[in-house]
Amino acid sequence: MRSLFDRMLLDPFNRIADQSAHVVPILIMVLVTLIIGGFLAFVARWLTLRLLQLARFDHIVQRTGFSSMIERTGVFRSPSDLGARFVQGLVWLFTILFALNAAGTPASVGLVTRFVDYIPNIIAAGLVLLLGVVVSRVISRSALLAAVNAQWPGARLIAGGVRVLVMSLAIVIALEQLHIGGLPLLVAFAIVFAGIVFALAIAFGLGARDMARQWLEAKVRGSVAEEEVFRHL
Amino acid sequence: MDELFPTELKARLEQIRDADIVVGIPSYNNARTIGHVVRAVSVGLAKYFPTQRSVIVNSDGGSKDKTQDVVMQAESGADDLLLVSHPVHTSYRISTPYHGIPGKGSAFRTIFAVAKELKAKACVVVDSDLRSITPGWIELLARPVLDHGYDYIAPYYLRHKYDGTITNGIIYPMTRTLYGKSVRQPIGGEFGFSGHLAARYLEKDVWDTDVARFGIDIWMTVTAIAEGFRVGQAYLGAKIHDAKDPGADLTSMFRQVVGSFFRLMESYEDIWRHVSAYEQVPLFGFPFEVGVEPLTVNTDRMIHAAQQGVADLREIYSLFLSPQTLIDLTSYVHRNGQGFHIPDKLWVHMIYEAATAFRYRTIDRDHLLQSLVPLYLGRTASFVIEVTDSNATQVEERIEQLGQVFEAEKPYLAQRWDAVRKEKLHAQPV
Repeated sequence: MRSLFDRMLLDPFNRIADQSAHVVPILIMVLVTLIIGGFLAFVARWLTLRLLQLARFDHIVQRTGFSSMIERTGVFRSPSDLGARFVQGLVWLFTILFALNAAGTPASVGLVTRFVDYIPNIIAAGLVLLLGVVVSRVISRSALLAAVNAQWPGARLIAGGVRVLVMSLAIVIALEQLHIGGLPLLVAFAIVFAGIVFALAIAFGLGARDMARQWLEAKVRGSVAEEEVFRHL
Repeated sequence: MDELFPTELKARLEQIRDADIVVGIPSYNNARTIGHVVRAVSVGLAKYFPTQRSVIVNSDGGSKDKTQDVVMQAESGADDLLLVSHPVHTSYRISTPYHGIPGKGSAFRTIFAVAKELKAKACVVVDSDLRSITPGWIELLARPVLDHGYDYIAPYYLRHKYDGTITNGIIYPMTRTLYGKSVRQPIGGEFGFSGHLAARYLEKDVWDTDVARFGIDIWMTVTAIAEGFRVGQAYLGAKIHDAKDPGADLTSMFRQVVGSFFRLMESYEDIWRHVSAYEQVPLFGFPFEVGVEPLTVNTDRMIHAAQQGVADLREIYSLFLSPQTLIDLTSYVHRNGQGFHIPDKLWVHMIYEAATAFRYRTIDRDHLLQSLVPLYLGRTASFVIEVTDSNATQVEERIEQLGQVFEAEKPYLAQRWDAVRKEKLHAQPV
């Protein structure tokens, strides 16, 4: 008959040892996979960047006008950088999937299967967000420059507001792609957005009635600003 | 080139066949002033070129105030009182809409095409809002081309000390520094040039850029100098015109002119890299003193614009200005009133760093140019404060000083240009 000591201490310890013997190699394998994958992702990015630079990818994209859009974001240094980072992201994604699959547990395998089915939604949402970042940066910077050159007070506030609005729209669309929030979120956003626009219209038309009139008069009649009486050219 | 000519214009050109002189007048809603310009040109052609076949071409951007009617109906003025002998040939007159992007450059393109089609020996262009034009301007701009073998004649005016600040602060000193010719009014608006040069202009593929707008003047001047055409200047006295071009707001005008100039730096890098000194350009005509219209400038508003720009656009400036330039700018720009000052060297460094960033697209080009406007207004305010009590000669000396700083700092431009190129070429992944 087994002693109390065996049942109380040895058995649980043996069970933990058995489970660890099963889990630890998997964890090590996952960890090694991630480290190798991370390294491969870095190498893939470096190689892609070099290849794209050799192929004068930036020069080619520059002609399409897409280049300036990428540079305007301030996130990517060049179209080649964007391409390289995209490849790096892909390698990372496959590394993670490989690591989960290698774990071989029903949960991780099920997770991988569900994830694979979900990939198109993720890609769509990612693209929407990326586009949101690009467009919001471009539009907010343009708004900032226009506001500063018109010498409007609160130019940064205007630019920030524009950026938040555009990003909010992108986030709502991305969430909708991921089936998070759904219609209620979209409706809530539409109500808030319409409310802001309505409030701004009232503020401009009523609160700043004189300013609105002067601005419209200046636009219609083409009045000359005081400092522009002289010729710059 | 046929696409530039509407059917009516084509028929008219076939009828005229050839001409010695073509005078082009671009216009857009200038009914109020263009009649005077057409009369002055007509008298000028009849008086100074009675034996030459001439054509006046009005290239119009779709005016709604009957500008074209005014051109066609304008009389030749008091020619009987001005002319000793009557001209052998009648001057033809054409008014045609131009094709392409709306702007002065597109209007000029049609004029170049007409000059080429008519095999003109000389071509003159004058603005349609001029109030100080005289018949003598046509002789001064066309004679050096017809009789002295010049290809390009830029105007030389006397202007108010606050007038032409983009010219005085950027374009004139930089053109002189980079291309080695001292053309005092490189974006003056009135030019004379040979038919050969007009044909050369037409060969260029620039008509969907800012050259089609206000960039045309600097593009014509720099192209003529950089490509080795013979360049001169003509003294025209004072330039007085309508207070403001209706379609011109400062930001877009600045963007078009300075953007075109920066783009030319890219095209002619091989030329300006090797220029180490400048030479005076021959001046035709008889210089005389004239009164200029008084101008008022609101420096407080300009200073405010510069201060707001530095405060709000710091993030953008940090993308193309060097850290030292940004520190200097911040320290200078916060002074108010008469104490406000932007030193020449700081201004020159800002322009050179902006030109480099434009070349290597460190930042979106449009954003770069727009962000320069507050800095330009600050520099203009600084200049106005500095020359408040100066006379015309002293102001010219002051502009000459600025030109010398542009020249002295040219090695900095080359160094910056090379450094950013190297940085771009060796961009490492992070």
